[in-house]
Amino acid sequence: MEDRLESVLNWALEKFKAEYIEIRYENVNKNTLELKDGTFTTFAGKGQMGVAIRVLADGAWGFASTNRLEQLENAIESAYKLARATAKVKKEKIQLAEVKAHQDIVKSKMKVKPREVPIEEKVERLAELEGLLKADKSIKSTWLRYEDASGEKILLTNEGTKIKWDLNYVWQYVWATGKEGEKLAAARDEVGAVEHGWELFKEREPNEEVAKRVLRKVHAQLQGVVPKRGEFPIVAGPIVVGIIAHEALGHLAEADLTINSPFKDLIGREVAPEHVTMSERIVEGGFGNDRYDDEGVPVKDIHIIENGTLKQIMLNREYAHKWGMEPNGHARAENYTYPPIIRMRNTIFEPRDWKFEEMIEDIKFGYYVVDFRGGQAQLNSAFQVGVQEGYMIENGEITKPIRDTSISGIAIEALKKISAVGKDFGLEMGRCGKGQSAFVSSGGPHMRFDGGIIIG
Amino acid sequence: MKMEELIRFGEKFFDELEIAIYKNRDASVNIELNEVSSSMLRERAVTVIRGVKGKKLGVSIIDTGDKEKIKEAIERAYKMAKLNKPDEKWTSLPEPGKYREPRKVDKELKEVSPDYFVDLAREGISLALEEQGIVVAGGTGGVEWGESLIMNSHGVNVSQEGGGAFFYLELVGMREGRVTPGIFDFDAKLSLNLNVEEVVRKALQKVKWAFNVKKSKTEEARVILEPWAISSLLSYALFPAFSGEKLVKGTTPLANKVNESISNELLTICDDPLHELSINPVIADDEGVPTRKNVLVEKGVFNGFIWDNYWAKLQGVESTGNAKRSLATGGISIGFHNVIIEKGKKSLEDLVGEIDHGYLVDGFQGAHSSNPDNGNFAVVANPAFLIKDGEVKGSTVFMMSGNIYELLPSLYEVSKEQRVLPFEGSMIVPAMAFENVRIAGK
Repeated sequence: MEDRLESVLNWALEKFKAEYIEIRYENVNKNTLELKDGTFTTFAGKGQMGVAIRVLADGAWGFASTNRLEQLENAIESAYKLARATAKVKKEKIQLAEVKAHQDIVKSKMKVKPREVPIEEKVERLAELEGLLKADKSIKSTWLRYEDASGEKILLTNEGTKIKWDLNYVWQYVWATGKEGEKLAAARDEVGAVEHGWELFKEREPNEEVAKRVLRKVHAQLQGVVPKRGEFPIVAGPIVVGIIAHEALGHLAEADLTINSPFKDLIGREVAPEHVTMSERIVEGGFGNDRYDDEGVPVKDIHIIENGTLKQIMLNREYAHKWGMEPNGHARAENYTYPPIIRMRNTIFEPRDWKFEEMIEDIKFGYYVVDFRGGQAQLNSAFQVGVQEGYMIENGEITKPIRDTSISGIAIEALKKISAVGKDFGLEMGRCGKGQSAFVSSGGPHMRFDGGIIIG
Repeated sequence: MKMEELIRFGEKFFDELEIAIYKNRDASVNIELNEVSSSMLRERAVTVIRGVKGKKLGVSIIDTGDKEKIKEAIERAYKMAKLNKPDEKWTSLPEPGKYREPRKVDKELKEVSPDYFVDLAREGISLALEEQGIVVAGGTGGVEWGESLIMNSHGVNVSQEGGGAFFYLELVGMREGRVTPGIFDFDAKLSLNLNVEEVVRKALQKVKWAFNVKKSKTEEARVILEPWAISSLLSYALFPAFSGEKLVKGTTPLANKVNESISNELLTICDDPLHELSINPVIADDEGVPTRKNVLVEKGVFNGFIWDNYWAKLQGVESTGNAKRSLATGGISIGFHNVIIEKGKKSLEDLVGEIDHGYLVDGFQGAHSSNPDNGNFAVVANPAFLIKDGEVKGSTVFMMSGNIYELLPSLYEVSKEQRVLPFEGSMIVPAMAFENVRIAGK
């Protein structure tokens, strides 16, 4: 395959006058299982294969994707012509930041790759998880989804980049509905990994742990009371801290969005107390970990907020040039049908030194929010996060659970109200949608907000 | 080799099987920061095989429509089926049905070049930039063309083709240090006849309102939900409850509500892909079952559930033609094609004009965090606008939390204008006005 791709690239270089040509080939085999209340409604083997082509000509992008390999030349020609047509109306010509061309093979760190595991074992594990959930009498319905992938990705550019990935991931999603009397409640749980293989389910996320977690979330809601609306002290657990980092702040630090956000004028300025540091970096077990991005740029750790000051943003080569900065490996594409765009990987708040007990001990009345169901933010950092597990804090103690509520606020204002940052750390795996989907993780320690967040 | 021969080939392995082939072509341009930044042409063919042997299901998905590769995929699906456990509830794949007359297709959409949208986008951008303090933050314009073929071993054999064009713009207002929320507007049609001027005009109006920030109170007030806002809220908090699967499993709050009122006579909801305004005019669902008009709520009264083949047969009813296939997993689920919420008599302008103190909501954040199993929601109205003495005075943000089944009876008016939304297929939705809505202001 590499030979075919290289010869097409050489053909294109002779034929077209382009600044940049990028060919990304992908051939991945997937297993997708869905177990809905005792029945496998999806039991699929999937072959995903195709090529993405991106051409920069006269300062504008053209993109084409195809799964007809015999027509690769046509696809390149299309991308080239599209770029030329766009260039005619583009005033500010796109330029790319200079980078070193890398030739590399990215091997998988997985101990047991999903393709080495017989399907029977995957089926059994899901059936066991369902059994554990349904052993609880209040669980009325479960929906388990599992997907894994094994395959290869090859990136070639006219600048000499040639990177080959051994591409693998595992992913699992649980949705459980519980009922007690007339009360219905639902909870979701998501785990996944790109660097841990089947061992993820053996060592880190065994069925017993996942089931325990899901049942706790369902019961918290079934027994939950409706919270008071208003602004109270909020202690947020790692998963909720993570979603605020990702949704409300992380997106603002994606260079293509920064330009229209309040972050644009805040770089280099103090935006939070000194004890707050938020990073976008490689994390042990992170779902967004990789060595290179889809432009062949090495992935670098950055501090979006460092000791309270807004410092760095996520860049691809185009925006790195625009901002006069170094690209840091955040160009990602969901698959061969999409061009790479600026995406997060693992967005986290860094831990400090508070203990959880110290954080809540002087709260007369407040809320402890543990897990979310869906979150969304605006470019002005206004965010909303649905809470699927939360509790009341009364006189320094965690008391009753709360149900079906959400928290909201303006993140850049809420940041200033962070009064304590915990010493623990937790990470949540998920998928982020920005026109295309990407595996990401987010997290941090427990944190306390004295104002800035409204509940209810 | 004819496609039908693939079914014969598959019958060597399976008791029954289905082959679904989807071919898509989409051409689009992307707008970034006041400029057209890129153009895109994507072509993809995906074939999904679903076979059943001894009540064991096997699925395989491949990125091609090539017949030899489809044969290999059939064998792969068979391997999967052998590994699966039998589903004792399985009955059979659908039998052939009678389809309605398909809508006439605009073939121009099949071949249109992205160049067409380069010009369209340029027009939209320059119109928007005539206004001071406006940034065209993003947008896209393009066309999608799709062809599909659904066949099964019981004789279902239906092919469809069609396309649609769309254009949307996201504007951000920046003036005197104030950044408005991103405000977008759009048009979507089954032809190239897109009204860019109208898209820009509507978005600009909202940005102008958004510059003037007003506080909202914690109170009970009249709230008008515009089409995009109401459609997102209903799609997550109410519509999943119409699924027959949830009835079978006892997880829908509508289980004992057939023929009971869930709102008032102003509310009528149907699903009909061949409605005159639909931009998703399919004659067959993803299992090849004929689509039809399904009335879900008539004058406030809940009329019944929607079904795919599997759950309908299990319940002993007929599929309502509401099967939707995920091309990512090959799985079938119950979904809508084109939801229509019937229009009312008054114009939106009159609805606003009649309010002394209230709110107009353009969009909700967090509608997808609603709980479909009980109808609870807690969303942020943003962009939202304050109405005072019958006029929009400025933008505001507030939280609205409650339960959809408590909100619906407080519907007091529906606008006579409907908008066509490219949302989960397509939706045709008016603005809906509710009274005594509890909101938490900021």
